[in-house]
Amino acid sequence: MTAIPGAIPKRRRKLVINRLMDRRPLDSATVDRFVERYGAPIVEGDRATFLWRGEADQVLVRHRVIGWPDPLPLRRIPDTDLWYVTAELPAGSRVEYQFEVVWGEHRQSYVNDPLNPKLAHGPFGASSVLSATGYEVPDWCRPDPEARPGELVEHVFTSKALRRDVRLWLYLPARFRTVVRYPLLIVHDGRDYLDYTTFQTVLDNLIHRGEVAEMMVAFVPAGEQRLVEYANHAPYARFVARELTPYLTDTYPLLPTPEGRTLMGSSFGGVASVSTAARYPGLFGSLFLESASLVFTDIGAEHGGGHVFDPVVRFVNAYRARPRRIVERIFMTCGMYEPLITPNRSMVTTFREAGMEVRYVESRDGHNWENWRDRLRDGLTWLHPGEQKFVYE
Amino acid sequence: MRTVLLGPQRFRTTLGQVIGAVVPDGAVATVTAGWQDREGNTGELDAILGGRGRHLNLYGRLSDVLETDRRFAEAALAHRDAVDELAGIYSARLHSALESVYSVQRRRHRPDLAEAALADGVRVVRGIDRWYLETLDQLYGELQAAAPPEDSEPISRHRAEVAEALRQAAAVAIGGGHVGVLLRCLRLFDVDPPPQLPVIGWSAGAMCLTDRVVLYNDFGPRGAVGSEVWDRGLSRAPRIVALPHARRRLRLDDPMVLRVLVRRFADARCLLLDDGARVDLGPSGELPAGARVIGDDGAVHNLQEPS
Repeated sequence: MTAIPGAIPKRRRKLVINRLMDRRPLDSATVDRFVERYGAPIVEGDRATFLWRGEADQVLVRHRVIGWPDPLPLRRIPDTDLWYVTAELPAGSRVEYQFEVVWGEHRQSYVNDPLNPKLAHGPFGASSVLSATGYEVPDWCRPDPEARPGELVEHVFTSKALRRDVRLWLYLPARFRTVVRYPLLIVHDGRDYLDYTTFQTVLDNLIHRGEVAEMMVAFVPAGEQRLVEYANHAPYARFVARELTPYLTDTYPLLPTPEGRTLMGSSFGGVASVSTAARYPGLFGSLFLESASLVFTDIGAEHGGGHVFDPVVRFVNAYRARPRRIVERIFMTCGMYEPLITPNRSMVTTFREAGMEVRYVESRDGHNWENWRDRLRDGLTWLHPGEQKFVYE
Repeated sequence: MRTVLLGPQRFRTTLGQVIGAVVPDGAVATVTAGWQDREGNTGELDAILGGRGRHLNLYGRLSDVLETDRRFAEAALAHRDAVDELAGIYSARLHSALESVYSVQRRRHRPDLAEAALADGVRVVRGIDRWYLETLDQLYGELQAAAPPEDSEPISRHRAEVAEALRQAAAVAIGGGHVGVLLRCLRLFDVDPPPQLPVIGWSAGAMCLTDRVVLYNDFGPRGAVGSEVWDRGLSRAPRIVALPHARRRLRLDDPMVLRVLVRRFADARCLLLDDGARVDLGPSGELPAGARVIGDDGAVHNLQEPS
C-alpha cells in the first residue's frame, strides 16, 4: 500500500455487524439483543448496514441509487436467521428502499423494512427511509403554531384544450388582500405535492418567516394521461398558457408581468414546465424544476427510458439543437443518486448558454417526494424571495 | 433637536428608561406601522410608556385609504409595481458592480493599480445607488401626479388627525418592523416631526430617521447578497447609515466587504445598533463618542470623540 505523504491514516472502528459475527456462541438471544439495541439500518460514519431477519433463500435491497449494485444482495450470517449487507453512505444522504425476499419459487417484492419505523409516502405507497449522519428533516416543513395558515380553495376548471374538467387547488396566503398583487406559481402534479411534500405547511412557514414572498399557488393534479400530457403535449401547454393562466390572472390579484409567473414540476412535471414555457416563450418568468426528466440522446434514438420517453427525447433533442431563452430564471435541483442526474447536469449548461440565469442545487437523495420537499426552500427563496430583508424588529 | 437612536427592543428593552430621561412628562406619539397588521398589539408598549402612548395607527390609516380611495389605491398599486421593477433592475446592476469591486479588492500584486481600480469601482457603485434614488424620486413624482394626496379626502383627513396628535405630543417614538411599510406610512401621512419635538427611533424606526435606508441580511436563505439602498428617510439623523441587528445580519468578520460598505456610503457613518445600543445625536445630528461604527479598515470601532 502506498502511503500518501502528510495524510493521517483514518482509523475506522470495526463495524458492529462484524463485532457481532465475532461473538461465540452466536445464538438467537444474542441476535435479538443486537437488533433491539441497534435497530436498522445501522449507520456508522459513512457506512450503512441493512438487516433482515427471517427464513429465506435470498434477500435483496431494492433501491434506486446509482452507484450501488442493484439489487443489493444480503448475506446470511451462518447459523442465524440474520441477513446483512453494508454499503457506503456519505454524510447528508437519504435513501428510500424496500426488500425483496425469495423462498424457492416464491418472490415477495416491495417489502418495507420491518426493523425500521421510518417511512416515506408517495403516490405508489410507502417506502422505508435510510438517513445518513447529518441528514435532518427541515424544521420549516413542520407545522409552526405561530405561522398563520393560508387557505386552499378548490376549483373545477373546464378546459377546452384538454376536453376535460380539471380540478385544482389554489393556495391563498394568510392575510390575502385584493389590493395587493401576488406572484403565481403553477405546480404540476399539484395534488401529490400537497400530499407528499407538506407544500402548504412549507408555504405558511416560509411566508411567515419573510423568506418567501406572499404568493398564490395553483396546485394542478395530473390527469389520467399524465405521461402523455406532460411530455411536450400541445393541448396541455395550451391549457396552462392560454386557459388557466389568463383565467387566474383575470380572477385574482396577480402580478401581470412574466416575472410574477412561475411553472413548477418534478420528474415528468418538469418536462411539462419546460415544454410549456418553450411553446409560449416570454409568458412565464421562471421555472422551478425538480429532477426533471429531461432525457436526451447525443446520437441515435436509444435512450433506455421506454416509449413514454420518446416524445420527451424528441423535444429535448430539438431544444438542445437550437437552445433559446424561454424564461428569465430557472431553479433546478436533482438527486445525486438518481439516473436523471446526468441529463440534469448537462441541461444546466444548455440553459445557461441560452441566456437564462440558472441556479442548480444537488442533493444526496433520489427521485422521490421527500427530496423534492427538502429543496422547496432553496427554490422558492431564490425565485420569489420574501420581505425578510425589510424587517428589523 | 433631540434625536435618540436605539437598538432592537425585543431582548433588551431600554425604551422606557430613555423616554423617562428625554421627556419625563407628556404624551408620546407612537408609530408602530412597521408591525403591519399587528400594529394594534401595543400592550407591552403601553406598559413601557406608562399610559403616555398615543398611537398614530398609521398602518390602519393606510388600509383605510386603500379601501376607500380607489383612485389612490390604483395609483399606489401601479407605483408599487414600478418600484418593484426598478428595485429588480437596481439589484441586478448593483450586484454585478459589487462583484467587480470585490474581485479587484482580492488582487494584491500591484496595490497601486488595484487601489485605482477599486476607487473607480466604488464610484460606479455609488453612481448606481444615486441613479436608483433619483429614479425612485421620479416614480414618487408620477404617483403624486396620478393621485395627489391633497385631493384625497381620506388622506387629508388622516393627515390632519396625525398632525393634531403630533402637536399635542411631547415626543415621538418610532418602532421597528417592516421598514418599507413604515416609510410608506410616514410619507403618506406627512409625519416629519418638527425640530423641537424629541424623536426616539428603534431598529427600523431608527433607519427611517436617516438620509438613506439601506437593507442588508447576510444570513438569509440566499446567503450574503449585498446591501441595497431602499429609499430616502426623514434625514433627521443625517450622514448616518443605521444598521440595527448588525451582529445578527451582517458578516462583521469580513473586513473586505465592510471596507467597501464604508467607502460606498462615505461621508455617512455606518452605525451599528445592536441590542442595548443607545445613541443620542448632537444638535446637528453628530454621533456621540462611544457610538459603534465601522471604520475605514472594515473593523468595528467605538468613536473616540463626537463626529
